[in-house]
Amino acid sequence: MPLLVKARSFLRNLFFTRRVDADLDQEVHSHLEMLIDEKIRAGMTPAEAQRAARIELGGVEQVKIHVRDSRTGAFLDSLMQDVRFAIRGLRRTAGLTAFVVVTLALGIGMTSGTFSMVDGLIFRPYPVPHPGGVVTLAGTTHDSMIEDFSYREYLDIRDKTKSYDGVIAYADMQAVGFGAEPAATPRVKGGMMVSGNFFRVLDVEPRLGRGFREDEDQVPGRDAVVVLGADFWQHEFAADPGVVGRTVRLNGTPFTVIGVAPDSFSGLLTFGHPDFYIPLAMARTFSTNIEKNFFEDRDDRELNVKARLQPGTALAQARNELAVVAKSFERDYPNVTRSRGAAVYTQFQTRTIEDDNWKFGVIFVILALAVLLVACTNVAGLLLSRARARAREIAVRLALGAGRLRLIRLLLTESLILAILGGLGGIAIGYGLVNWFHSKESIVFETELPMAVPFHMDKRVLLACVGMAVLSALLFGLAPAVQSTRVDLVNALKSADVDLPGRKRLWGRNLLVVAQVSMSLMLLTAAFLMARGFQHTLLEGTDFTKDHLLMTSFDPRLVQYNAAQTQQFYKLLAERMRESPGVQSEALTQNVPMGQEAYDGVTFVPEGFTMPPDRENFASMMDTADEGYFQTLGIAILRGRAFLASDTVDAPRVAIVNDHFARHYWPGGDAVGKHIRLDSSTGTPVEIVGIAQTIKYQSTSSPIDFVYLPLAQHPVARMVLMLRSSGDPLQLVQPVKDAVRSLDPNLPMLQTRAYEELYLNQAIRGPQMAIDMVGSMGLVGLLLAIAGLYGLMAYNVSRRTHEIGIRMALGAAGSDVLRMVMGKGIVLVAMGTALGLAMGFALERLMNSMLFNSGGVDVVAYLIVVPTLFLVTMLATYVPARRASRIAPTQALRYE
Amino acid sequence: MSPEQTSLLQGTLDLLILKSLRAGEMHGLGVSRRIEQLTGGTFVVKPGSLFPALHRMEEEGWISAFWGESENNRRAKYYRLSKAGEKQLEAETKRWSRISLAIGQALEAS
Repeated sequence: MPLLVKARSFLRNLFFTRRVDADLDQEVHSHLEMLIDEKIRAGMTPAEAQRAARIELGGVEQVKIHVRDSRTGAFLDSLMQDVRFAIRGLRRTAGLTAFVVVTLALGIGMTSGTFSMVDGLIFRPYPVPHPGGVVTLAGTTHDSMIEDFSYREYLDIRDKTKSYDGVIAYADMQAVGFGAEPAATPRVKGGMMVSGNFFRVLDVEPRLGRGFREDEDQVPGRDAVVVLGADFWQHEFAADPGVVGRTVRLNGTPFTVIGVAPDSFSGLLTFGHPDFYIPLAMARTFSTNIEKNFFEDRDDRELNVKARLQPGTALAQARNELAVVAKSFERDYPNVTRSRGAAVYTQFQTRTIEDDNWKFGVIFVILALAVLLVACTNVAGLLLSRARARAREIAVRLALGAGRLRLIRLLLTESLILAILGGLGGIAIGYGLVNWFHSKESIVFETELPMAVPFHMDKRVLLACVGMAVLSALLFGLAPAVQSTRVDLVNALKSADVDLPGRKRLWGRNLLVVAQVSMSLMLLTAAFLMARGFQHTLLEGTDFTKDHLLMTSFDPRLVQYNAAQTQQFYKLLAERMRESPGVQSEALTQNVPMGQEAYDGVTFVPEGFTMPPDRENFASMMDTADEGYFQTLGIAILRGRAFLASDTVDAPRVAIVNDHFARHYWPGGDAVGKHIRLDSSTGTPVEIVGIAQTIKYQSTSSPIDFVYLPLAQHPVARMVLMLRSSGDPLQLVQPVKDAVRSLDPNLPMLQTRAYEELYLNQAIRGPQMAIDMVGSMGLVGLLLAIAGLYGLMAYNVSRRTHEIGIRMALGAAGSDVLRMVMGKGIVLVAMGTALGLAMGFALERLMNSMLFNSGGVDVVAYLIVVPTLFLVTMLATYVPARRASRIAPTQALRYE
Repeated sequence: MSPEQTSLLQGTLDLLILKSLRAGEMHGLGVSRRIEQLTGGTFVVKPGSLFPALHRMEEEGWISAFWGESENNRRAKYYRLSKAGEKQLEAETKRWSRISLAIGQALEAS
């Protein structure tokens, strides 16, 4: 009850201030009247009584102030006063306020937008309860820090480790032919095979039905059950609660729906959100390596393994334990496990190893923070100038008894309001940026599989925004506030112009100029380097054919083909297409250059090459291609020959390597005719029959080793058909459809499109977007720095009008004044340039180590950036300096 | 003013106000005079302390205020002890007795 009374008073004080005050006024006045009455009754004259009463009361206003200060919410009241006062002040200088807000908004918006990128790529926790306990168990080799495990290996790890509350496994999301009704033509959806304990270990409670039981993952092929993703359930089944128990067809096999995953669980992948989950035991129905037996072969490594660490178990302990298990694999199965270790990674480690794109995010965030810092220095400079102009007002307040802390609070309130407005603007800009990311299909290219851009302005990013706003308010507000309340009252009140004595007053502003110049130099350098780096990768290794090519993918596993049927299908398809009118040439390849899927790796030992003692083999990226591949894609064979139809299973094994590979292992010699042995020095010998031109295989990668194996000798289930057309490549879609239908009407065509479209998107638009982003950040940084520099210089000149007037009255020429003002500016700009160069070098090293590996210093970039910045900043100091040199002494001296 | 006007101990003012209002509703001046009377003139409460205390106690819910007529027909704000106030007075009185007893003992022992 008292609490209720208190709350009521609080609200009353807050909202009925006027009534409460009038009431108080009446009360005090009536008190005074009664006092007077009392004194008169005691025998005083009315005049005497008045005086005595007033003395006893001690001042009506003072009493009222005491009462107000003791009220509930008095602090809030004074805060509201500050806010009202600050808003009034800011509105008076609306132009300045707008500039400051826009400046801050740009800084905060860019930082939050880019942070959303880094957050989505590496920081955002898995959408499961207690995500921190989920760790990744991965295989390691000489060349890779993160490798999948095979089913057998997973079972051993699950059973032999004790550090976890459950170990789960899942395969990559894959294309699955889905039909809600038996009769319906299957459509391609994204399915994920998971272990039976997947939902239990992750603590994900299905919103409908149930998750898998552990026994549903024991007998291969027995339990055809499926759990739907929430999104998929809503779109495909209109959120029908009766879906549990229904039968759907996956790759032609009937499956029973047993549950629906909750909305909050979108899977463990960064980009993909699986449409449904199936038990690992049903692997035969889905796409796995056709040459291997998923359930038996220990080297059929297709599973990601994650586990929930037991509370209280140290990561180091889990690592040791897993290392022991990995050793036992190597001991017990030496034929299939060589030089393989194992590691336990946290979520953060996993994401940073899996995908390199976060590095761009980090560089973007660094650049955006630099923009924010420039913005903050700008605002600090402006506030400092403003505070000086207000010095007299502040001195009057201090003289009247305002506490210094109270004044600092008032000034900080002002900064905070600016920061909040800037923060709001920043959130808007951040949203814009994130929308821009989403609108750019370059980040996630449209595929049949459910993929989504993981960048959102979520709670975490918004929180970061607010944090940045408050932090920047403190950054730019505190120093001016402290400094401007530290004034010499006597001097301040005497003259209209106040400054701290000596050099100290200039120090702060000079520091701001130096900081600004150096920051923007660093920004510009980074933007320039990044643009050049991308430009470089854009052009490198791109001279092969991209136009007039149609691509479409097949996965005969979707319709239960075995290896022989698959081979037969591709053979017939290639033959039909070659005969088809309009098709100039045909190619089958496992991957297209710059495609979205990762290349397979191949391990090998080059013949005649002395292996380092610590390794058994080397690894390289590889592709499987048919005899039409090099011709169709216009990839030059520099020496030797391309694949031939005669490179069949029965013929000697052959391979084609790229130029980079040949030079790497046979420097100075001819690689053609040499052999490599697959896997180990006792593996299958393969003859190198040709050297292909080195092209760009993946986005923004430097030249790498690359091996091609012929399709006939290295069969693969999922292949891409590429057709060279004379006209519009999309005109070939119908002929392909007809050919496929005649071979098998149930086999879906995946990702059918003009190859050029994919190429442009993967190879050009992504880097172009990055160039646009860093470019605009550099530009914004430069503009802000110019504005800030100009503002500070102009302010300095206006402060010195009086002094300059005296100098000129005493005989200084305009040119002397110009030299004096400019000289000062040049010194500051030079200092800033030196500092900025140092930071630029540091950032370049960082960028080189993270992104481009170009090594060395990009001299051209500095040759362009430094003089440009110097010229521009000099201009920003010249204009005010020139104005100073034109000051008429008579006017300047009359000024006060 | 009398030289014995001792400054009020923290919390004592509340106690004295509550005690004064125990006798019945009264306005600010009445409370002030009543305290003087109760303490034999030792404590003179100035309006600068009295009003903030009254308002604070009203916000605490110990007393309630209403407008009424004074003895000479002036509009005056009256205060009245509430249920919570009576409880508070009881608690404060107990506390005060304990303190004064303890202080007394401490001073007597030597």
